Amino acid sequence: MAATPSLSGPSDLDQSSQSDQSASSRSNNRSLRVAEKERKKNEAEDPFVLALKYFSDVEAGTPVQGNDDVERNMVLVEKVAYSKGLTPEAVSIMLEFSMSLCMGTTLCARVLKCLIPATVVPQEAVVRAVVWLGVRKIPVGTQILFIKWVLTVFDMIDAKDQLRAVYGFIFNFVTDENLCPYICHLLYLLTRKESVRVFRVRKLLELQSRLGRQPFLLSLLSLYKVFCPELVTLSIPSRVKSGFRNHNSPWKSALIAVQKRNGAQVASSISLASAIKTKPRKRKHCHLVLPVLSSVVSKRAQTEPSSSRKVVPLVQVHSFAQLLENMHRIELPAQMGSLLGSSLALQYLDCVQDESALLRLNFWLGYALHEEFLFCGDGGASQDSEDALQFLNTLLSTQHFLQEGFSCSEAFLFKFLNVWDGSLLRPQILGLLSNIPVVPSSQIGQLLFEPLMQLYFTSSLFFKCGLMECLNNMLLKWLTWHSVYALEDDLDISLNSHTSINMTLSGFKDSVMELVDFVGRLASLGLRLEGCHSLLLSFILDFYETVCDTFLKYGLPLVVMPPPGVFYPALLATDPVSVDRLAYIMYRYKVNLTSAKSQKQLTEQAFHISRQTFREFNHYAAVMVNCLWNSKMFQPDMGIQLGEELLLKSNVPQYGTSFDLIHHPAFMSYAVDFHQRCWPGRKDMDLNSLKCSKLWSWYQEYLFSQGYDGLKQFVQSNICRQLTAGDSLPT
Amino acid sequence: MDDSTKLFLQRFMRRIPSYMLRTTLEKWGRLTAAQQKSIDFTQSKWALTEALLTICEENKLAMKHLIELEMIYIMDNPNQGMWYVLQLLDPEDDAHSVELMQFKEQFKSHLKELVRHVSIKIKNHTDQAVWIRIAWGDAFSRPNHLKPTFGVHYLQTPYVFVTNLTSKQKPLLSQAVVLSTRYQAIKDANLSGRKLTAIRDLLMRKYQQVFPTKYPSPLAENNQTISNPHIVKEQAEPAANRLHMACKAFGGGALPQLQSAVYKLKTKFRDDPNKTMTEREEPFRCVVKFESTNLLESLRHCASSGIASTPVTPLLSCIPLKGRNYFVITDNDSGPSSQTHQPQN
Amino acid sequence: MSLLKPFSKLPGLNSANILLVESEEQFQQSLADALVEETTFTVNVRLAKSLPLPVENEESRPRIDLVVFIINLTSELSLQSAEASLKCLDPGYFLGKVCFMVTNARSAAAPVERLDVARKLAASLHCPLLFAEDQTPDGVTNATERLLTILKVAAGLVPMATALYLSNLTRSTVPPDIEQPSFN
Repeated sequence: MAATPSLSGPSDLDQSSQSDQSASSRSNNRSLRVAEKERKKNEAEDPFVLALKYFSDVEAGTPVQGNDDVERNMVLVEKVAYSKGLTPEAVSIMLEFSMSLCMGTTLCARVLKCLIPATVVPQEAVVRAVVWLGVRKIPVGTQILFIKWVLTVFDMIDAKDQLRAVYGFIFNFVTDENLCPYICHLLYLLTRKESVRVFRVRKLLELQSRLGRQPFLLSLLSLYKVFCPELVTLSIPSRVKSGFRNHNSPWKSALIAVQKRNGAQVASSISLASAIKTKPRKRKHCHLVLPVLSSVVSKRAQTEPSSSRKVVPLVQVHSFAQLLENMHRIELPAQMGSLLGSSLALQYLDCVQDESALLRLNFWLGYALHEEFLFCGDGGASQDSEDALQFLNTLLSTQHFLQEGFSCSEAFLFKFLNVWDGSLLRPQILGLLSNIPVVPSSQIGQLLFEPLMQLYFTSSLFFKCGLMECLNNMLLKWLTWHSVYALEDDLDISLNSHTSINMTLSGFKDSVMELVDFVGRLASLGLRLEGCHSLLLSFILDFYETVCDTFLKYGLPLVVMPPPGVFYPALLATDPVSVDRLAYIMYRYKVNLTSAKSQKQLTEQAFHISRQTFREFNHYAAVMVNCLWNSKMFQPDMGIQLGEELLLKSNVPQYGTSFDLIHHPAFMSYAVDFHQRCWPGRKDMDLNSLKCSKLWSWYQEYLFSQGYDGLKQFVQSNICRQLTAGDSLPT
Repeated sequence: MDDSTKLFLQRFMRRIPSYMLRTTLEKWGRLTAAQQKSIDFTQSKWALTEALLTICEENKLAMKHLIELEMIYIMDNPNQGMWYVLQLLDPEDDAHSVELMQFKEQFKSHLKELVRHVSIKIKNHTDQAVWIRIAWGDAFSRPNHLKPTFGVHYLQTPYVFVTNLTSKQKPLLSQAVVLSTRYQAIKDANLSGRKLTAIRDLLMRKYQQVFPTKYPSPLAENNQTISNPHIVKEQAEPAANRLHMACKAFGGGALPQLQSAVYKLKTKFRDDPNKTMTEREEPFRCVVKFESTNLLESLRHCASSGIASTPVTPLLSCIPLKGRNYFVITDNDSGPSSQTHQPQN
Repeated sequence: MSLLKPFSKLPGLNSANILLVESEEQFQQSLADALVEETTFTVNVRLAKSLPLPVENEESRPRIDLVVFIINLTSELSLQSAEASLKCLDPGYFLGKVCFMVTNARSAAAPVERLDVARKLAASLHCPLLFAEDQTPDGVTNATERLLTILKVAAGLVPMATALYLSNLTRSTVPPDIEQPSFN
């Protein structure tokens, strides 16, 4: 593939030194062999090749002191390592040389320090080194150095299956007090569901009782708990300080420098790479648990095709076709957070059966959110920073892509709402909030409504509008889930494909009902406090446009009428748009209710819309018709009642007509305009003259022609008979 | 170049941050322009050390040159390690006329008389400071350049700042200093800190001074800051009072950065309800240590914000006044009971 | 000890008076500066470190419509000082004219227990507990807006709403202990 030519110098060496390194020999490209031989001849004298050869062939027990050969070759290797990085073969040779203590312990650490891989680290070499770790008497400091090195280059190890195979072997080092923190970190990266065993949990617990509640033990245990909650009964504090320190390893800066230098050569055409690149920067900002260098992986993503490999790192998959081909042997990256940025990874996540991927992502995400936003080091001064914003935006777009929320983000939100000031990252938080899955009605009040109430009533108009929109979106999502997942006959619906919360239809209905009631409360009180602000009213009407169609659009047999605190402000609003939208909502209610009724008669289905709802609707409809058409405002049977004497005192002539379509403050200007069109020259204006039957219907036509379709639909569905009869107009 | 020189360079390279290496080398001026250019400063420390070693060998540079390099670095970055202050007492008549060359010669000769193996390097810094680097050896060993003592003396002042001085070497240094500065005695000034510049400023009064009697009353100064007639501070008076008190004790401007203040208490325990402790004859010994990145600022803030009571106790306010941060407190039997806490030496 | 009383004086025309109590006297200054920017009505801000207020200002002090206790959760002293100051308020204030504003709630340096104490305190007095981000300009603006929202109602500037009515909607409750589910 394109990879080989792009790697200069050292990459050629891969092939040449392969013959002597059978242990780490890798897939060979026969077509390149011939050309290789040519080059080999030229480079036989290359001092670096000779240096490597020296280290692979050197006899055990050769003295170091005063040995100029070693010194010279060592310097050569170091020079190459720091400038270009070492090829996989060179890494194998040097690692083997170092860990086997071929020349004693003196060179061991020095070799480890210069092990800077240019592309990948062969897994076999790491496994062999781990074995050496158990065999030879390596000084403790050097042992730690080695594990740190493995942690640093973890994402560059070409496969992890063999490392996982020796999981138990690695686990044994946990008992070594010096190595324990680092081994825990390594295990954390290697752990899979099947590696969680009772005896390991027991061992860790035993260690914990001896060493105290060390963060690295807690972190590993909590990961075990994620995989097998039944095995780890220990309760883990929700505020664990970040478990694994980002070891300031000696390779970091050198690695970055080498990557940068090589990066210029490797074409960066991979979308995945650019998507993940933001991550390491992010980590500096928060103190996350994860190892370094996910970008390193993405940068070398161009290595050979996967045919010979047993597993395929997700980063090397570039197309959907490739994903399908390698579905069964995808290797997840060490840093689950990097999945968020890539759509392919998300597609994989979406269809993979193995829950562990999602569990790990959830675990990482829960931790990240918690550390970042609820447990800030600096009191939140840097919170508005680009990083946090970008992170939440990525999370949001991921959730949109997967069309479901992560359970950890839900848990995070419930906590965050309790300490939120209402403005910090508001668009993102409200966005996340609108994505949360259905909350059981027994908890919804405490988890969601209590904190939202406090925020809503103490915050500005714009927050109120934002929250209305958010709750509308939340309802829409819930209803959509319902319509997708609900089975025809079965009342059980599984709302979330992964977390599989099972909820009965009645439970779901209860939750929706709670939500609608809650919004009704917020809306009517909010309108009252904000003086019926038309912007807020508009957002509220948006919500009721969703509510009025629950039955027909989403198949949920539930109709909830708006409270009077919403209905009347909308009916008496000063802007015609609100009145028109209310008319449209009432029209949809009517359509939904009639169809529900007819369906009930037809199928005798078990659902039941209460008589009360019908009564409320009829009442509202009557009020609207009386108010707008019949000029019978303030009739004793209507919702708004005023004392007779009071109305007389107000000196408003014909107070009954004051809110009909002519005198309604929202439509007055239209009436005047219409009046002028009827009698262009007339000086004295008599709006009442529009009431006569012909002009009245013309006036209505005129209003409808101005785009008030809601009114039109309302009129046509409710006053249809009267219009055709043309006899019910008031005089 | 022998092994000890190599080791010295290696140690030095380990200490100096890479980003400072280039400028320090330039100041040193022992490398040719070409050599300077040939060094790749992005290399690892280890490789850099190797490169520098070869260059030093080429130029035949010895320990004494490398010492210069170290001094340049330390003089540019004096704020590391703990600095202590020695105070010279009883100047002789000609103490004020001691000048650099004379001091240099005298100091070297006096110290060499006391110790056989010692390596002394004296450099004059831009701000009148005389920097002294001493590598100590004893009767049987050569000077150890890996653990040098640094001393800074401002001519015509009675202060010597030292770092990395062991108790064994202290009398030797003291004697040499006393003799070469034409003073008669020297004592510990009980002041220490990580920032050489800060303790120097404190002793030489290079910060905004307070004159307790003349500090302006709060009314004249603070009433000008009223910004808005709609904002009223209910407790403005006590607050202004506190600020006044705090400034009276510590001054209004920026304060030198001290890191700690230590009080060694050797007083009787006084707490009337607690009979058993109060009745004990022997003093109650304990050490109280205040620590902060900028102790004086912190104390002033504590007083002005009301965390600490005002007026500020003389125990705290005498830190800048007396220029010391180590106190031993004993019962003053003769004085009235309220004045018993007297800082003494 | 003189109690601060909510109805001992007459209200001013188109004006509202707010008292900010903060032992650290840090956040209250920036809040005050932002509060007086309000243009639709006059806002008078009184700043105090703790209660009781000095008697000599009694005359000049207008009727206080809203008392805000600012608590920095990273400091125990701040919480204690607020608790002590509460005793100097007339019970009438607790009918909707007191609120707590908490800063640094998300800081790692603030122990969970202290937040719980503050919450319980606010809940037991039926007062709202607001959270504020005092470190960022946006946070200060938002905190100011929220205080103004409450102040407007408490000073009687919003028709058909009273302080008691609003406090019924906003008063703090002690939330359940939500364990992080990923650890469950």
